[in-house]
Amino acid sequence: MLLDQFNFHYISGWTAVASWRWIANDENCGICRMPFDGCCPDCKLPGDDCPLVWGQCSHCFHIHCIVKWLNSQQVHQLCPMCRQEWKFKE
Amino acid sequence: MMESSDELLSKAWTVISEQLKPSASQNEDQLNRKEFCEAWQTLEANNLDYIVEEWFIETLQQDLRHRIGPLFWNFFKELENQTENSAYIQKFVESVNYLYEITREYRSCINLLESVSPLGETATSKNISSLIITFYKAIIFYTYPETFLTSVGKYYSEAFRVFHHINTESHDSGEEKSPLCDGCQIDVSTCTCQEIMETFHSVNKKLDDIGVLEKVSGAAVTSIVHSQIESYINTNCKGNFETSYFEHLEKWLDTKVLGWLNSIYAGEKSHNSISAFRGRLLHFLFETYANARIEQLFMIVIDYPESEPAILDLKTCLEKTNLRSQLMSSLRKALEDRLLHPGVNTTVILSAYISAIRSLRVLDPAGVILEFVSEPVRKYLRSREDTVRCIVLCLTEEGSNELLDELWKGQPLVLEDDTCSDEDEGDWETWMPDPVDADPSTTSKSRRASDIISMLVNIYGSKELFVNEYRTLLTDRILNQFNCDMDRELRYLEMLKLRFGESQLHYCEVMLKDVADSKRINSRIVQEMALVEQKMDIDINALILSAHFWPPLREEKITLPKEMQKSLEEYTKKFEALKGNRTLNWKPHLGMMKIEIEHNGTNLSFSVSPVHAAIIMQFQNKARWDVEELSGVLQMSVSALRRKITYWQTQGLLKEEVPDTFVLVDEVKGQGHEVVMVEDESESAMASAQQQREEELQVFWTYIVGMLTNLESLPLERIHTMLRMFAMQGPSTGEVSLPELKGFLDRKIREQKLVYYSGVYRLAK
Ligand SMILES: [Zn+2]
Ligand SMILES: [Zn+2]
Ligand SMILES: [Zn+2]
Repeated sequence: MLLDQFNFHYISGWTAVASWRWIANDENCGICRMPFDGCCPDCKLPGDDCPLVWGQCSHCFHIHCIVKWLNSQQVHQLCPMCRQEWKFKE
Repeated sequence: MMESSDELLSKAWTVISEQLKPSASQNEDQLNRKEFCEAWQTLEANNLDYIVEEWFIETLQQDLRHRIGPLFWNFFKELENQTENSAYIQKFVESVNYLYEITREYRSCINLLESVSPLGETATSKNISSLIITFYKAIIFYTYPETFLTSVGKYYSEAFRVFHHINTESHDSGEEKSPLCDGCQIDVSTCTCQEIMETFHSVNKKLDDIGVLEKVSGAAVTSIVHSQIESYINTNCKGNFETSYFEHLEKWLDTKVLGWLNSIYAGEKSHNSISAFRGRLLHFLFETYANARIEQLFMIVIDYPESEPAILDLKTCLEKTNLRSQLMSSLRKALEDRLLHPGVNTTVILSAYISAIRSLRVLDPAGVILEFVSEPVRKYLRSREDTVRCIVLCLTEEGSNELLDELWKGQPLVLEDDTCSDEDEGDWETWMPDPVDADPSTTSKSRRASDIISMLVNIYGSKELFVNEYRTLLTDRILNQFNCDMDRELRYLEMLKLRFGESQLHYCEVMLKDVADSKRINSRIVQEMALVEQKMDIDINALILSAHFWPPLREEKITLPKEMQKSLEEYTKKFEALKGNRTLNWKPHLGMMKIEIEHNGTNLSFSVSPVHAAIIMQFQNKARWDVEELSGVLQMSVSALRRKITYWQTQGLLKEEVPDTFVLVDEVKGQGHEVVMVEDESESAMASAQQQREEELQVFWTYIVGMLTNLESLPLERIHTMLRMFAMQGPSTGEVSLPELKGFLDRKIREQKLVYYSGVYRLAK
């Protein structure tokens, strides 16, 4: 058996399969309890159409969920998880 | 000298009783007549005339019982053990002549009696002439000897043949002429058809005159005509489903069949019975025709819509006959016998079921017949694991088929589990009650649903199953076959949404969007790399999935070779840069790559999974691998590795030199050719214990093919024993139970790779 007579080449076009996920420290949104990699109850499409946002407290939520939450708060705008004042992370 | 009144009476009685004897009154003359009248007046004067009638009737009955009856039946006694047709025919004619003579004799007596006593006021109010017919029927034709029936049958059959021969225009074009006449079956030169017909008319006339024509001939004539009808329908209507015969048959009956009846029952006594005869024959005609159709109903159903004329005929026949329940049980059995066994493909069963739905809703719009006959089919389809898949495949096929046409009609589904009551729907004025044989447990609305897709979904009664199966197929097309025509899929999805509702198909919508998004991301990444004049080592076309919206995907442990991993990592970085805060989880065992192998001067191209590529790549550095060792390098399980190696074995690149050691094959067959092969499609991207198991069984298939090639045919148990001996030895192959093996072989029969006959399996040729 001559090893040099057996050669292996890649040809262009590897259809590779992956799934995307948010880099977050939790699996589910603390407000709607839905998975981050899915979407909030008001949305149909995940990802670009229903993104996550992070607060300065480092908690993160579906953007639609936290905006709804903040709108419902009349006096102070607090993070629903840690009760600190909510500020969007840059 | 005065005679005493007793003497006078006695003399008158002698005159009357002498003259009322059948033989005596033959030579009636004026003198006798006068004498008779005088005698009658004598009796009348003494109020004794009523005795005459009673005496005459009593004497007639005695005569029939003791003399005429036995003499008449004597004609037929002689026929026992007789084989000559002509003897039967001759005796019948003679017996009719005899009875006719007797009747004539009695008729003159009766005329004489009736001339003096206007209407018999005895026991019955009928006159004596009609009484005598009743006596014939009650006394002589009370029971028949077998030979009489045979005679009548033979006589009318011969007459029928002759009648038919004379009344049909001869088609002697080209046909070789037989020396015998078709009618009388005597040499043509001495044909007696004409004479036979003359005798025939005279016999009928005599019987009619006697008043027993229908009594004597009815059964024979009916049976002759019945077999004529049967043979006409058998030769003319059977096998042709594309013509309606209904009107034609009725016309044929009136012109061809009734002509013969008219010629028999031409006499005045029996002429009235023809219309009743026609009614009975018409009924028999419809029944025979319907039976012929019912017998072939399975084929008629399969041939629908070409066979619509036959279905419509049958519908009319059902209204006129009482064959509905027979039709139902016969078709149900035919469907079971012809379709419901392992050798028939699910698609064949489905298309038969669809034909049944379409044709039977024409036959019986209420849907009761369909519901009953297709019940075993539905039950069986429920038990077949690939039914939903076949239906969905039909629905998603390119081009057009019955189901697709139905789908484009875009009606919403009518499901059995819909709770609204059927009384709400529709107009009460057009409401029709369900037939009495309808199953009360199903609603008439679901039964009448004319929509085929609804009927198919109702096999399961749930939309979810169908949508899930569609999702599975879509996944398969995207991840395994890589032949997803996006425009078509999107159009198709819109159609399905109309049918199954938006929410059911939401997941599929996201899946299609993932494919489109992936394309965009890929080209963005290629563009950005081109800007900085970079290029990936291996061109990657990523399919990036939103995992929550796809069916659970098959997991498999594998560590890809370094250069492959490096390319994936590079791609991940570009993705992260593009989509902030998001990253990728690769599924290295899924997807497909094109590779080229240079082996002893031969170039071979393959499209295989990355895992297959990773395996064959290892043989570049080392031509001989132990399974355990290789599984350690690739960090995959031995059994999974073995399954994958099977592919390279069938490609002729690897062989198992000694158990658990694989080596490169020195010479690859088909040198100098460039071969492109796609990996066996059966390997799905989706997780399924069933499919996993199927792959494991597939390893055994190689062994089974080997066995059957060498030994030709084997029973199930032998195959199992041999597999245990040879194939289930190593630690890397699993066990297979007898029932599981049988299921596996059954599937191979359906795939037409095996045949099963009288207990043994063979390879299909
Ligand atoms: Zn949320
Ligand atoms: Zn949202
Ligand atoms: Zn917080």
